[in-house]
Amino acid sequence: MTDMTDMAVARDAAATSLDYDVLVVGAGIGGMESALKLGDMGYKVLLVEKEASVGGKMILLSKVFPTLDCASCISTPKMASTIHHANITPWTYAQVDKIRRTADGTFTATVTQKARHVDIDSCTGCQKCEMACTVAVPDQFNADLVGRRAAHLTFPQAVPKKAVIDRGGSSPCSFACPAGIQAHGYVSLIRSGLDEEAFRLVLDATPLVGTLGRACYAPCEGECTRGSLEGTLPIRRLKRFASDKHDASGKDNGLERPAPNGKRVAIVGSGPTGLTAAFQLAKLGYGVKVFEAAPVAGGFLTLGIPSYRLPEAVVARDIENVTGLGVEIAVNSMVSDPAALKADGFDAVLVATGTHRSQGLGVPGEDRLGVMGGTDFLRKMKLGQAIEVKGKKVVVVGGGNVAMDAARTARRLGASSVTVAYRRSRDEMPAHHVESADAEKEGVQFHLLVAPAEIVGNSAGAVAGLRCTQMRLGAPDASGRRSVEPVQGSSVTIDADLIIAAIGMMPDTSMFGGRVAVEKNGRLSSDKATCQTAVEHVFAAGDAVNGPTDITRSVGEGRKAAHQIDAWLNGREFDNWDDRLPVVDKQAVLARQKAFTLSAPTPDGTQLEPAPADFREIEAPLTEAEARRSSGRCIDCAVCSECGECVAACPVDGCIDLRSTAKTSDLKVGAVVVSTGFKLFPADLKPQYGYGKYQNVITAMQMDRLLAPTRPFNTVLRPGDGKVPDRIAYVLCTGSRDKQVDNPLCSRFCCMYSIKQNQLIMGALPLADVTVHYMDIRAPGKRYDEFYEQAKAMGANYVKGRVADITEKPDGNLLLKYEDIENGGAITESEYDLVVLAVGVQPNRDAEELFGVGELALDEWHYVNEPEEDMNPGQTNIPGVYVAGAASGAKDIADSIVHAGAAAAQVAAHLERTRPALPKIEMVPA
Amino acid sequence: MPGANRDVREVVREEAVWRPRILAALAAGPMTVPEIAAAIDAPVHEVVFWVFGMRRYGWLAELKESESGGYFRYEPTGRVS
Ligand SMILES: Cc1cc2nc3c(=O)[nH]c(=O)nc-3n(C[C@H](O)[C@H](O)[C@H](O)COP(=O)(O)OP(=O)(O)OC[C@H]3O[C@@H](n4cnc5c(N)ncnc54)[C@H](O)[C@@H]3O)c2cc1C
Ligand code: SF4
Ligand code: SF4
Ligand code: SF4
Repeated sequence: MTDMTDMAVARDAAATSLDYDVLVVGAGIGGMESALKLGDMGYKVLLVEKEASVGGKMILLSKVFPTLDCASCISTPKMASTIHHANITPWTYAQVDKIRRTADGTFTATVTQKARHVDIDSCTGCQKCEMACTVAVPDQFNADLVGRRAAHLTFPQAVPKKAVIDRGGSSPCSFACPAGIQAHGYVSLIRSGLDEEAFRLVLDATPLVGTLGRACYAPCEGECTRGSLEGTLPIRRLKRFASDKHDASGKDNGLERPAPNGKRVAIVGSGPTGLTAAFQLAKLGYGVKVFEAAPVAGGFLTLGIPSYRLPEAVVARDIENVTGLGVEIAVNSMVSDPAALKADGFDAVLVATGTHRSQGLGVPGEDRLGVMGGTDFLRKMKLGQAIEVKGKKVVVVGGGNVAMDAARTARRLGASSVTVAYRRSRDEMPAHHVESADAEKEGVQFHLLVAPAEIVGNSAGAVAGLRCTQMRLGAPDASGRRSVEPVQGSSVTIDADLIIAAIGMMPDTSMFGGRVAVEKNGRLSSDKATCQTAVEHVFAAGDAVNGPTDITRSVGEGRKAAHQIDAWLNGREFDNWDDRLPVVDKQAVLARQKAFTLSAPTPDGTQLEPAPADFREIEAPLTEAEARRSSGRCIDCAVCSECGECVAACPVDGCIDLRSTAKTSDLKVGAVVVSTGFKLFPADLKPQYGYGKYQNVITAMQMDRLLAPTRPFNTVLRPGDGKVPDRIAYVLCTGSRDKQVDNPLCSRFCCMYSIKQNQLIMGALPLADVTVHYMDIRAPGKRYDEFYEQAKAMGANYVKGRVADITEKPDGNLLLKYEDIENGGAITESEYDLVVLAVGVQPNRDAEELFGVGELALDEWHYVNEPEEDMNPGQTNIPGVYVAGAASGAKDIADSIVHAGAAAAQVAAHLERTRPALPKIEMVPA
Repeated sequence: MPGANRDVREVVREEAVWRPRILAALAAGPMTVPEIAAAIDAPVHEVVFWVFGMRRYGWLAELKESESGGYFRYEPTGRVS
């Protein structure tokens, strides 16, 4: 061992700067005991437990052998003393990432307090969040016999009795939404039948619930983890389902007009950016007026998107969500000087005027009669202005979504043919693939790899055709998109009476006459993060700033602008309004399950005709059954869905914060106790016993849960069908003393806990027969053998001999084939209702991860090594690092406590030896 | 009773989807787990997860007297959402 005297000298300076005298890792009975003893001696202890409660495995047990004391009754006082001890700082739901030895012999530990999402000081442990939560996962604290919720109390006797929210980050669907809508949240609400709540969750982000339910391009679906199984969930249509249900219910939207805050904001433009910003600001109490140049509100929602995709009535209904908050929308009101609105009493102005100008083709003949821009064409049509399309040959130039909308609109207006002319191939088309595929199904033709060269006219000056240059694909550019180059000398003319140029859109800034700053590319100039322009009370956001995007991005822009305007008007620093947690790793999500049952995705519901003649909505809504079934396919990627039900149910305002993040700190400690306990043998590694295959084969830990007062069922029932079992068998030494599974060790307490359970079963189910198949009964402790004799006297039957295998009968009963040594070794078969495998103990390999590779020595079975186990129990190979409880080998509760006491004494001796001249940091009498 | 075992996570997750069907079945009167399974046409061992999830969160309760054949009967408590 190291020379302690030398080290003590080196420590002089270091010891005073310790954050804690001792770090105890793991708060099972071993860790709690060491912490309590050290705390009583006056040392400052940091106790780190990875679960949200202290107590380890003992608190999950029914009773303890051989006293048959209730495990909770004797654990909870110790748990409470631990967390309330003046010298112990308990960090539950925390993990030790790494412990490094420093040159002065102390340690630096990096500890992460995981995000609990619940304020530990104000949570009352009332469990209202848990009752309301919409996500169910197997309850590891009930050995997976029953489900728990994402919001949960670890177990009823948790100490601290505080809720925790199981949240691994953002689910991919929610993370992908540029509008910041909790897609996973509304999916889980619909799965629970909470359709109105789902509507309100989306409404919290934007007034455009019905609109997004129809016309969003659904980036969420592109990211859905289920997409790599059998297909994405219909996330967008689920939103429409919630919205339609709300509309049909006749319910109000639950929003109340807030008290006015005395400030006014003007919004120029009533597209999704402007409407969302107006809505969000109105909810904060601002007086909001929207100025719209067009005769109707909605921007492209009403003037661009054709009604077969988005009926006007749906948009009108969504706009009522805005006006319902008192927002005034003035149509036919063009603003030419946004900054000047200040003089009219507006404290801030948001310019969100979109991109309503179609980019020209830039080819000769563009001024001919019969050439128009894509947005102009759609706008005229939506405003009911006459456009002669019937019987005409229409050519739409461009491959984006506007081109598809224009082409499909022309089909509906009776064009004799509609051809999309696009300069690259189908694969490079920027239109959403569904849009181009649907256009084709509706009879739109595609003329690919052609670039317009000239608009050819007839003698009357009208359009007669589009002369194009043939193109060919070149090498992919840096973004992977293939370049195009003209085929020299080629020329092709497509007959046309009407040419619609849909090759791009620009903001129309002409009305501002230079009074709003414009970038070189023609877009408005504002700070991307804060939306503020050079004129400080004028903000600009949405497509007018970014160029053409989509509704969802515009909604996100509107939310961001509202957030930043509110910050500016209240003198707050601008901040990052996007507080999404990092997205979960899809591979890790998929790896949580051994297998997935595939479930066919709901058909897409679009009804297309080869020659559509009207503007009826083409997509059918999901039926109630489809909505439930498809929301039921969600695999709860991040576990918590952010549905918000817990927040609504929690009686303490601000107690739940779904966006809180983990905190990591580096701490200096004088010594370390490793009390990370043990793991149970995974019983499915003995396939001959059928665990995981036969539902009525369970482990002893599961039986301890069934016998505990906080049991998952109403009594001891078999999990296969909820029947009270009559004949119960135990198979001892499952995974212990077994070279086949590479564990020659005896697990020390399996015989005794089995005998304990035998007695408890006979108490709980007086009619049940209990048979134990064993090799040896090891009952060497004080009163242990008497305990065994007592079980026999109560009627438990002990049969010596190994169990060869277990098979299942059609009624779920189990046939056990075993050797009956005391009856001549015959192979015998018996039938049981329930079989309990007395699984053995395995080392918890977490212990070695605490230190650098190979630093903490393990014994040959991978438990923490105690080089002088007999003379100096608790000491490890690293000076200053000690081990307590079952982390160094199987121990029952009594032995774990004794061992933890020994480890505490070793720590105290170490601390005293290594800093003899120093006062301890802030000694507080226990 | 024997049947392919789906991943426990998948079964537990579906509690909300099956809940209305279980409550609808129990509107006819209290039932045992196998009776519920037959009524909703689902594997009995999966119904165990849903019934006890619903019991834990207050939708169902067992009738106090144990039934013949070793099965308890469960009834709705009146919790609706
Ligand atoms: C079915 C069954 C029945 C039993 N019945 C009895 C009985 O009746 N009587 C009896 O005397 N014994 C019984 N035992 C044995 C008893 O459970 C153990 O003796 C006791 O739990 C050992 O305590 P421990 O603190 O060493 O380990 P554990 O109880 O395993 O506690 C270790 C703690 O460390 C935490 N942890 C692990 N890794 C980390 C990390 N990296 N960072 C932070 N925290 C970490 C764990 O979450 C846990 O809280 C039974 C065991 C089983 C399986
Ligand atoms: S947000 Fe929803 S899913 Fe998440 S913990 Fe709260 S209630 Fe459960
Ligand atoms: S499976 Fe569910 S949570 Fe995961 S991405 Fe898809 S909808 Fe979202
Ligand atoms: S509802 Fe609120 S106070 Fe109650 S347990 Fe949950 S977080 Fe704590």
